[in-house]
Amino acid sequence: MRIGTLKETYIADAALFDSRTQKVWLALAAGVLLLFPFMATDYWLYLACLVSINVASACGLNILTGYTGLVSLGQAAFMGLGAYTVAILELRVGSPLVLNLLAGGFVAMLGGLVVGIPSLRVKGLYLAIATIAASFIAHFLFANSAFTGGTGGLTLPPAKFLGLVLDTSFRLYWVIVPVTVLMLLGAANLFRTRVGRAFIAIRDRDISAEVLGIALLRYKLLSFGLSSFYAGVAGGLWAYFFRVVTPESFPLSMSIFFLAAIIVGGMGSMLGAILGAVFMTMVPELLKLGVALLPHGAELTVFLSPVRTMVFGLLIIGFLVFEPHGLAEVWRRVRRFFHLWPFRN
Amino acid sequence: MKSSPVSQGRRALLLAAGATLVTPLVQAQAAEDIVIGGSIPMTGVFAFAGVGINAGIADYVKIVNDGGGIKGRKLRYVPEDTGYKVDVSVAAFKKITSQNKVNLYYGDSTAFSKTINPELDRTGNILMAGASFATELNDPVKYPNQFLVGPDYTEMFGILLRHIAKEKPGAKVAFVYSDSEFGRDPIDSSEALAKKLGLTVPVKIMTPAGSVDVSGEVIKLRRAAPDYTIFHGYILAPIPEFITQGKQQGMTTKWMGTFWTMDSSTVMKMGEAGDGFMGVMPYRYYYDTAAKSPMLEKIRQLHPDYQSTAYIQGFLTAMLFTEAAKRTLNANKELNGKNLKAALDSIKDFDTGGLIGVPITIKGNSIPVGRVYKADMKAQKMVAASDWIAL
Repeated sequence: MRIGTLKETYIADAALFDSRTQKVWLALAAGVLLLFPFMATDYWLYLACLVSINVASACGLNILTGYTGLVSLGQAAFMGLGAYTVAILELRVGSPLVLNLLAGGFVAMLGGLVVGIPSLRVKGLYLAIATIAASFIAHFLFANSAFTGGTGGLTLPPAKFLGLVLDTSFRLYWVIVPVTVLMLLGAANLFRTRVGRAFIAIRDRDISAEVLGIALLRYKLLSFGLSSFYAGVAGGLWAYFFRVVTPESFPLSMSIFFLAAIIVGGMGSMLGAILGAVFMTMVPELLKLGVALLPHGAELTVFLSPVRTMVFGLLIIGFLVFEPHGLAEVWRRVRRFFHLWPFRN
Repeated sequence: MKSSPVSQGRRALLLAAGATLVTPLVQAQAAEDIVIGGSIPMTGVFAFAGVGINAGIADYVKIVNDGGGIKGRKLRYVPEDTGYKVDVSVAAFKKITSQNKVNLYYGDSTAFSKTINPELDRTGNILMAGASFATELNDPVKYPNQFLVGPDYTEMFGILLRHIAKEKPGAKVAFVYSDSEFGRDPIDSSEALAKKLGLTVPVKIMTPAGSVDVSGEVIKLRRAAPDYTIFHGYILAPIPEFITQGKQQGMTTKWMGTFWTMDSSTVMKMGEAGDGFMGVMPYRYYYDTAAKSPMLEKIRQLHPDYQSTAYIQGFLTAMLFTEAAKRTLNANKELNGKNLKAALDSIKDFDTGGLIGVPITIKGNSIPVGRVYKADMKAQKMVAASDWIAL
């Protein structure tokens, strides 16, 4: 708890942003997000958009796995459902971007509800295996339907918003980042409600949750649905960003990527999902920049690339061993130091 | 005076800061360089080819620069590892094009070629080639700033089918392919071509890309009793398993493959089962000394050890990039995607220094020429089984 932050009501206690310091930092972060596109090169804008999409999807998986305790390896499949929905609507119907994204989310949500049914009987690794099936079924459907363009997939025209063609990372940034921020705010608020707390109760002990009057069927499926909705919207953003959607765009390894992101970031924490997605997307790129700074780094790329991949793997293992609560816990420790300042403990 | 570790650290920091400040100046001085960017898979599942491609491009760039460059302008090759992931490949593209004025680019996959195409069209600055031989890319209208460094997959099948039609008219040809965009690419169009050439396709078998147990598929293949079996969409597995089981069951079919299976080192991994394995190859193998080939001779001088067909592909790509840039500059035109592509399209009967056995001409977006090679396991080499076939 921050020194000097007095809360006198339950509403104040449950507020998302509870201190002036926090609000100032948030305003600064918003300022940085607003100014960033005007200062960054196309490369950094591309990465910002990619990170943003990954944050949105990781946030969705965090609702399911981090907060509800249901392990899923179907996140990429749900992203695929969202991406294909957006692509088909864009190509065949020509409906507006916002509507397409929402439709992508809802189609993925329906998929999530179906895939979530086994969660009533199985948990943990068994559920993870059951959700892998979603990946294979989705891949089969995407690859064998004329509607989805078969193995060649679908190529989208650039997105349009308010008459503006969104054909560069700079322009897409103004859609992708705000949508992600909205989704993060939505998720953060979710855990101030009965639904969110029910998810947490199920994660901590599902039998006790049921005894407390939480309908497991409804809430587990709701968690799957919400998580898939997030994945679907993220998939839709992905489709607009890359503009080519093929069955191979959403492999099982992508689901593992998101699971790794929330584990490294810290499960059951909004900040964890953000930090995890940023870590998993940016660290390989930053390692590349690091390698390029080494003497003769450019010439040695071919030899140092495998080393770089190993370093990335070792970093992940290092986090799991030395900070099992993830990057969010590291962040919390740093914050705690400043919160207690000038006192040491 | 002995410097303290702290002052050494500070000095290193100052040097690093200085280097950061100087870097833009150095890049500005090198603005006249002709930059070849590359999204190269040096790690990941395609690293076996990426490392060779990278070396091939780098070697040819060095040869050109040692010879004075192109009209006094040096070539500069800027590769980035992609791990064979589309999002990373695009990030590499964005990074390289943000930091350099890039005119030529090498892409690592079909997915990347398709994804980056709108960007190439939008900026109009870059001519791109890559590791993909996808039939879809062989469309100058849809992909005006790209080309394939060899025949597309349908054309590869075309070369094999023409060879078969000549060797055994009316033969039965089976297609075995992976369930992927890569695998399915030439199948339907090649079935139609087979019919046109008087051949029959008694069976088409699709398997998962990395399948291990293929016993059911082998039985299906044996029942069809094809004279030839063409594999496509795989690198190695499950081809050896098909051949071993097929031979055990008394099949006499001739086994064939397409480019990415046909590197010498890949075929030799098949062991005894691979003896007589045939396939289409657009380039001469490193050790092919049957005809005069000064470029291969140069490569052999540079590298006494075997260089893969991926290396040759990278080398030839850089050669065609160079030729396109040379022709554009000779015509006093600006180096941009449109002019570079027009210059590339003007290439007629071009001598590749023996990398390809006949003079080449760009048709559409591809170079539709190749040859059938056959594995000689005793000699541990691929030997020519046909003359060069141009479509």
